Amino acid sequence: MLRYIIRRLIWLVFVLVVITAITYSIFFLLPGGGTDTIAQRFAGRAPRPELVQEVKIQMGLDKPIYMQFFSFTKNLFFGDQYGWPGFGKSFTLRLPMKPILLERTLVTLQLALGAAVMWLCIGIPIGVLSALRPRSLFDRFAMIFALVGISIPVFVLGAIGLYALVYKTHLLPGTGYYSIFEYGFQPWFSHFLLPWFVLSLLYAAFYARLSRANLLEVMGEDYMRTARSKGLTERRVIVHHGLRASMTPLVTVFGLDLAGLMAGAIITERIFNIPGIGDLAIKSIGSQDVYAILDVTLVAAFIITFANLVVDIVYAFLDPRVRYE
Amino acid sequence: MGFVKRRTIVALASVVVLALVAAACGGSSTSGASSSSGGAPIKGGTIREELQEFGWTSGFDPTGEYLGTAWSLYDQMIMRGLMTYNHRGGDEGGNIPVPDIATGPPTVSADELTYEFELKTGVMFGPPVYREVTSADILYSFARINTASLSALYGNYYCGTITGMTCDKDKVDTNIEGIETPDATHITFHLDQPTGDFLYRLAMPATKAIPEEVAKCFTKAGDYGPYLISSSAYMFMGSEDLDITSCDTMEPISGYDVQKGMTLVRNPNYDPATDSTEIREANIDGLQQAINTNYDDIFQRLLDGQIDVAAGTPPKGVLLKFETDPQYANWLHADPGDRTWYITMNLFAAPFDDVHVRRAVNLAFNKEGVRKAYGGEKRGDIATSVEPPTVLPQSVDINPYPANTGEGNNDAAMEEMKQSRYDLNKDGICNDGGACDNILFLGRNIDPWPEMDQVAMASLGTILPGLTLREVDTTTGYTTLQQMKKLVPISSVPGWGKDYASPFGFDYYIFHSDGIYSCTGSSNYSLVGLGKDLADSCGIGAEYDAYVQNNGDVPSIDAKMAECVAKPADEVNPCFAELDTYLMETAVPWVPWVWANNWTSVNPTVSTYVFDQFGNTISYINSAVNNGLAPENVA
Repeated sequence: MLRYIIRRLIWLVFVLVVITAITYSIFFLLPGGGTDTIAQRFAGRAPRPELVQEVKIQMGLDKPIYMQFFSFTKNLFFGDQYGWPGFGKSFTLRLPMKPILLERTLVTLQLALGAAVMWLCIGIPIGVLSALRPRSLFDRFAMIFALVGISIPVFVLGAIGLYALVYKTHLLPGTGYYSIFEYGFQPWFSHFLLPWFVLSLLYAAFYARLSRANLLEVMGEDYMRTARSKGLTERRVIVHHGLRASMTPLVTVFGLDLAGLMAGAIITERIFNIPGIGDLAIKSIGSQDVYAILDVTLVAAFIITFANLVVDIVYAFLDPRVRYE
Repeated sequence: MGFVKRRTIVALASVVVLALVAAACGGSSTSGASSSSGGAPIKGGTIREELQEFGWTSGFDPTGEYLGTAWSLYDQMIMRGLMTYNHRGGDEGGNIPVPDIATGPPTVSADELTYEFELKTGVMFGPPVYREVTSADILYSFARINTASLSALYGNYYCGTITGMTCDKDKVDTNIEGIETPDATHITFHLDQPTGDFLYRLAMPATKAIPEEVAKCFTKAGDYGPYLISSSAYMFMGSEDLDITSCDTMEPISGYDVQKGMTLVRNPNYDPATDSTEIREANIDGLQQAINTNYDDIFQRLLDGQIDVAAGTPPKGVLLKFETDPQYANWLHADPGDRTWYITMNLFAAPFDDVHVRRAVNLAFNKEGVRKAYGGEKRGDIATSVEPPTVLPQSVDINPYPANTGEGNNDAAMEEMKQSRYDLNKDGICNDGGACDNILFLGRNIDPWPEMDQVAMASLGTILPGLTLREVDTTTGYTTLQQMKKLVPISSVPGWGKDYASPFGFDYYIFHSDGIYSCTGSSNYSLVGLGKDLADSCGIGAEYDAYVQNNGDVPSIDAKMAECVAKPADEVNPCFAELDTYLMETAVPWVPWVWANNWTSVNPTVSTYVFDQFGNTISYINSAVNNGLAPENVA
C-alpha cells in the first residue's frame, strides 16, 4: 500500500506539471494569445509599445515561453519571494496569490462541507426509505424530488431561493460571506444556509437515487436472506448488513463530488457573493490574469487528483477484497 | 413505518424548522431611514454602494490608474493637487478645472511655456503622515510618472510636454529639468511647446500630492494603492494604523481590500478652510463600496434600502419599475457621460476605403432605432459629431449629414453611394462583386447589442446588402479591432470616453497616428493617419497603396491637432471644432450614434444627488444621505 501511495503522489506531481504546460499553451501558443496580447490588456486603453514592454517585464513575459514555464514550475515546487508554494502574484489584484488562494479555499471548503453534510442528511435517508418501501407513495414522491433536484439548474434554484426567502419574505438575510470568527455563528450560518441548500439539492437528489438503487440491489442478495433467517431484527439486517454494503460505492462518489466542489462551486459562489475559489476563477478569466488562472487551475487539479488518491485508499479499507500493490 | 420510528422523523423535521428559525432570527436587514427627496444637504450618514468589482487597471495606484471611477474617488475624496474640478454637473462647470492646492490660476509666461503656481499653506496629509503638503510632494508625483517601472498609463500627457520628462527613467528621480520647486509653496513648470489644455492635465489624478516617505517603498506599478495616503477630506478607514516606520513594517490599510471593498472616513487633518464648499461640501461621514458578485442582488438591495447607490444599467425588471412605477420616479439618474458610442469603419478595408461609402453609411444609419434598442432616450442624445457637447460644446453645431434626421435616410445614402467606385451600375447599392460581398460587421454578443446590431444591419442593408454580422464578447471584439492585419471593415463594438474634458483628451488616442501603436495594439481602429512604413511592416502595405492610388493621401489630423494643442486656452475648442468637422466630412472614420449618458440608481436615502462630470459618477463629495449611519469597514 505504501508503495502504491508513493507512486500515486509522484503521478500527482506529473499531472500538475502537464496541466501547467497545457494552460501555458492555451495562453501563449494558440491564436489570439501571446505575450503581447496579454500584456496589452494591462497597459491601459492606450497601450503604447513602451508601456506594453514595461508590463511584459513586470509580468515576466519578456522571457522566452519555455523559460517562463520553467520559472513558474520551479517557483511552484520550490517557493518564490512570497513563500512556498510559489504561486506568484496576481497582476489584476496586485497581490501575492498564496494568501488569496488560501483564504478563498477555506471559504469554498466551508461552502462545500456544509453542502455535503446537507446532501448526505437529505439524500441518503430519502434513498434508504424509498428502497425500504419501493413503489409506495413515498417512493414515488422521493423519485420526483430526485428528478427535480437533478434537473433544475443551480442558477435557477438560487434565483428562486433568493426571491422567495430573501427579497419577498426576508426569512433569510441575503447574500455575502460572514466569517464565523469575525461575525459569530449566527450570521455565518444564516448566510450559508441557502447556498448550502441550493448546492446540495442536486447532489441530494443524486444520492437519493444512488442509495435507493444500491440498497435495493443489496436487499436481494443471498446473505441478506441468510441474515433474516438467522432471526435478526429487520432493523439489524438493514443497518448492519444492507447499509454497509450499499454505502461503499457512495463513499467513492462522495469523495470525488466533494473534491469537485472544492475545485470551485462557481455558479453558487457568484449568485450568493461568496468569495471562494470559483469566484476567483471567473474573475481571473474575465481579466485574463494569467498567473491567477494558472494558480486556480493547479489548485483545482491538485484537489481533484489528491481526492482520487484518498478515495482509492479509503475504498481499500472499506472493501477487504481490494488490495493495491 | 416499521424501520424508522415516527418520532425520529418528527425530530428530523424539527431540526430543519429550528435551523430556518435560527437563520431568520437575529440580524435583520439594515434598511435606510425613511425616504425623502431633494432638500438641503444633510450632514452625516454614510453612502453605501455595491459593485461587482472595482476593475482597477493599476491596483488603485494613482500614478498609473486609468479608470474613471478611480479618478472620481481620488479627485473628490482622497487626493488633492494643483488643480481639480468642482465635482458637479457639466452645466455647473463640472468639466472645467479649478485651483485646488494652488492659491489661484497660474502665472503664465507670454510664450506660454512657463506656468508658475503658488501653493496654499495648511493642506495636510492624513494619518499617519501628519505634515503639510508642499511643492516637493507635487514634484514627487511627477517623478513617479517619469519612472518606467511605475507604468504611468497616461504619462504621455506630460512626457514630451514638460521639459525633461521622458517617462523612461530607471528609478524615481525628482531632478526633472522642467519642474522647479524654489520653496515649499511654489512650483514652476517649463514646457517644450505651448499646451493650451495644460491645466486639464494638471487636474489628472497622477499629478496629485504623494508623500515620498511612504510611496518610496513601492517601486512597481500598482503596489502603492493599498497604502494610499490622503491629502483631502477623506481617507481609508484604518489609515492611522499604518506603520510607516520602515518599508518592512507597512501592511495594507485595513479599510481597503481589492477583493472585498473600501471604506472611506473623514480625514481628521483636513482643514475645510483650505478648500471651498463649491468644490467639496463633504456632507457625508463615510463612503462604503462593497463587492457583490450578484448584479441582480445589488439592485434588490438598493430597492430594500440596504444600500444607497448602484451604478450601471439596472436589470430589466428593476428598470421597468423605475420607468413605470411612480413610487420609483426619481431613482434613476441619467447624466451626460462624456462618451460616444459609434460605428467604426476601417479606411483600408474595402469598400470602406471609399469616402462615399463611409458618408453613405452616415446617411443611412438608423441612430434612433439603435438608441431605442439600447434603452431609449435616457441613454443619451443622438450624436452628430465625434465628441459629446460636454467635452466640445461646438459639437452640437457639427452635423454634416442633416439629411439623416436620426432614423436614417436611404434615398440620400443611395445618392451618396452612386458616387462610389463600388457602385458599378450607379443604382445606389454597393455591388462591386467581391468587395461588396460578405462584408464583416463585427458586433457584441452581450445584451443589448444583439438587438442593436440587428437594427444597424437592417438600416444599412439597402446600400450594403453584403453585410454579414458576427458577434463576439467585448474583450474579443476590442482585441480583434486592434489587430491591424485583420482589417475589420465595420464594427459596433467600440465606444470612447474622454480622459479629460478638453478635446485633446478625447481625440488624441482615437484619431492621432500615435494611437496606432503597433500591428496588434491600436485605439485608432479606423487607422486615420496611418503611415506607409507601419502599414508595410504590419502586412497591409498593399491595401495602403491601393488607398493612396484611389484616393490620394491618407486622411490625418496630426498636424491640425498639434496646431490646436498649441493654441491659447480660449482658442483650443474652436480649433478642435474645425478638426472634428474635418473628421466628420473628409476623413469620415465613424458613424457616431449617441452621446451616452451615465446611469446611477439611488435610493431616496440619498437626500441630495449631485453628479460629478469629470469622473462621470455620483459626486460623493457633494451629495448627501439621510440614513444617519456611521461608516463600517466593508473590507
